Amino acid sequence: MLEHFHVPPEDEVRIMPDALRFTVNELFLKMGLSERDAWQATDVLLLSDTRGVDTHGVSNMLRNYMESFAAGFINPNPNWTITRETATTANVDCDRGLGITVIPQVMELAIEKARETGIGAITMGNGRHAGMIAYHAMMAIPHDMIGYAITAGGQSMLPTFGAEPRLAPNPHAWAVPADKEPPFVLDISSSSVAANKIQLLRRMKSMTIPGLIADDKGNPIMDEREIPDYTWILPNGGTRELGSHKGYGMSAVAQVFGGILSDGAFGAYERGHMSHFVAAYSIEAFTDVARFKKSMDEFLKYLRETPPAPGHDRVFYAGLPEHEESIDRHERGIPLHREVIDWFDQTTAEFNMAPLERAEGQ
Amino acid sequence: MLEHFHVPEEDQVRVRRDDLERTTAAIFGAMGMPAEDAALAADGLVTADIRGCETHGVSNMLRNYVKTFGEGQINPTPDWKITRETSAVATIEADGSHGLVMCPKAMDIAIEKAKEVGIGAVTIHNSRHAGMMAYHAMRAMPHDMIGYAITGGGAVMVPTYGAVPRVGAVPHAWAVPADKMPPFVLDISSSAVAANKIQLLRRTGAQLLPGLLADEKGTPIMEEQDVPAETRLLPWGSTRELGSHKGYGMAVIGQVFSGILSAGLFGVSNPPGNGSQFVAAFSIDAFRDVSEFKQSMDEFLTYLVETPPAPGHDHVYYAGLPEHEETLVRERDGIPLHREVVEWFDSETDELKLERLVRAN
Repeated sequence: MLEHFHVPPEDEVRIMPDALRFTVNELFLKMGLSERDAWQATDVLLLSDTRGVDTHGVSNMLRNYMESFAAGFINPNPNWTITRETATTANVDCDRGLGITVIPQVMELAIEKARETGIGAITMGNGRHAGMIAYHAMMAIPHDMIGYAITAGGQSMLPTFGAEPRLAPNPHAWAVPADKEPPFVLDISSSSVAANKIQLLRRMKSMTIPGLIADDKGNPIMDEREIPDYTWILPNGGTRELGSHKGYGMSAVAQVFGGILSDGAFGAYERGHMSHFVAAYSIEAFTDVARFKKSMDEFLKYLRETPPAPGHDRVFYAGLPEHEESIDRHERGIPLHREVIDWFDQTTAEFNMAPLERAEGQ
Repeated sequence: MLEHFHVPEEDQVRVRRDDLERTTAAIFGAMGMPAEDAALAADGLVTADIRGCETHGVSNMLRNYVKTFGEGQINPTPDWKITRETSAVATIEADGSHGLVMCPKAMDIAIEKAKEVGIGAVTIHNSRHAGMMAYHAMRAMPHDMIGYAITGGGAVMVPTYGAVPRVGAVPHAWAVPADKMPPFVLDISSSAVAANKIQLLRRTGAQLLPGLLADEKGTPIMEEQDVPAETRLLPWGSTRELGSHKGYGMAVIGQVFSGILSAGLFGVSNPPGNGSQFVAAFSIDAFRDVSEFKQSMDEFLTYLVETPPAPGHDHVYYAGLPEHEETLVRERDGIPLHREVVEWFDSETDELKLERLVRAN
């Protein structure tokens, strides 16, 4: 994540991962989730927070999930079902279950299929928020498989040349194991910026970055100015000249594999409705696993050893910064914003639970 | 394609699709390809021209292919082999095949597998340039399948924050059938612009737009200027702030599925001109009723094209729609080639003692 979006040091409170895991798990149990689902949901949020993907960790998502459970938008005990199935594929009705509990179970099924045939791919309809989709893709890694995950739904992004949002910044994620190098994990939205980052910029009174958002009429904002009250997200690329049709297209592909292929969902739909797609590709089916991992090591090393351009110290690959952040956060704790800690304290008090434990010296 | 990259009207010579395909196949034949393979490769190449993707049509590619055939880099009569296989996947050693021949054949294998088990995926190494990737993905559509195709190889694009090119502008293409609406066909390089388009800019003498290339030190060029001598592509997104890590990542994942998964190939380990590809077919019927799916696709695509346009625009499109409309125009009026390209055809056919390319009336 860019420096621009980090919690300022003076506002951060460090929490050790185990302490956060304990409290989040308790809260999910209070929402009526089974022990297994509470563990699963907590595991997804914790991986986001330890990897530094704060947008999809507890800070933004947990209160959102709790509100949605309370309002009945999410089914805490979904009875998800397979509506169609072949040796390599399945179609799942998620029964309004939260993606962070249902998708990992479905990914396990895809991994089973990949073990049998080489590939497993499953589309899911009638779902709810998927969390950080890199989590689902990364589940394939310990099985020597390449994982892939998509989530789609909602409308906040303009099509190229459009004046009204008709798609979401639907993300795609891939996870590829290596041998000694940290795995390659790419998790990219199809928009130029995540919607809640605009909210963050507004709160911090920052200026627009040219090419990130459009004005209320759909014109891409290509200069630096105050963030307008009404804005739309642009597809990644910003303008057609710089490839916004690629972000628009990636979003549509995600909608096809998630929504259209499962039950035809797109555009305006039931509140909170999301569609998903996961796939696992068995490396063994294509090539020798040890040889593949060695090649990955060489490839990833080749990339991170690229001589840096002026003004930069290092070149990364997707998954490397998150890996390094994860080591740091396991040692020093996860930096949460004071405001988030206040919310935790208030919520645990409401449920007569022990407050979230701070890291030593906090 | 943007207006910026079109052949100026005064330099156009129009030719009919069939004529262009016949001459192209004859040239491939003269390179030593069996007639069937020559026809297949010509169909792929001219499909790019008929859809208006001239960066990947005869103008840029055919002379390049003729040159590399001449240098012995492409094997006109390859003995390609499946080296590993399961019910859903295969790995192919292409023996120096032209990608425009190998990829359709690999896609046909993927389609057969998808018919049997729901999905088929094939990774290919030791092949050569594969033309427009959309062509291979589109091969799945008549079978009521979603097609996916990637081609890896080369080092023309700088990684985000990198000073030197270490990845190709690896394109990914998806083709999705609909019912009455023209199909959704997305074919996107992972760079901000295709290297071929820079070549086109040089030919037409146009200015370089900001955000497309890095300078010789690796710094993104963010102002309009003359096209620099060296082409160092920026990833799609141009700068980190605008999402260049997304284009860089798409290039890496494309290289993983094609080069690494097939034979551990990337960057410098790739001999010149060596290509690797990945093709996959997803049977719609394995997920959902086909007619319901196509109906949903029509509704979705209609919803997208009916988006109210932003100021200064008449239409909102979806990927594959402009290419479909261009196809109708070019089927009617012929394909506009640059005069210089037609001259190349004439000198080539004269040299090979083939019939000259027929001009449209």
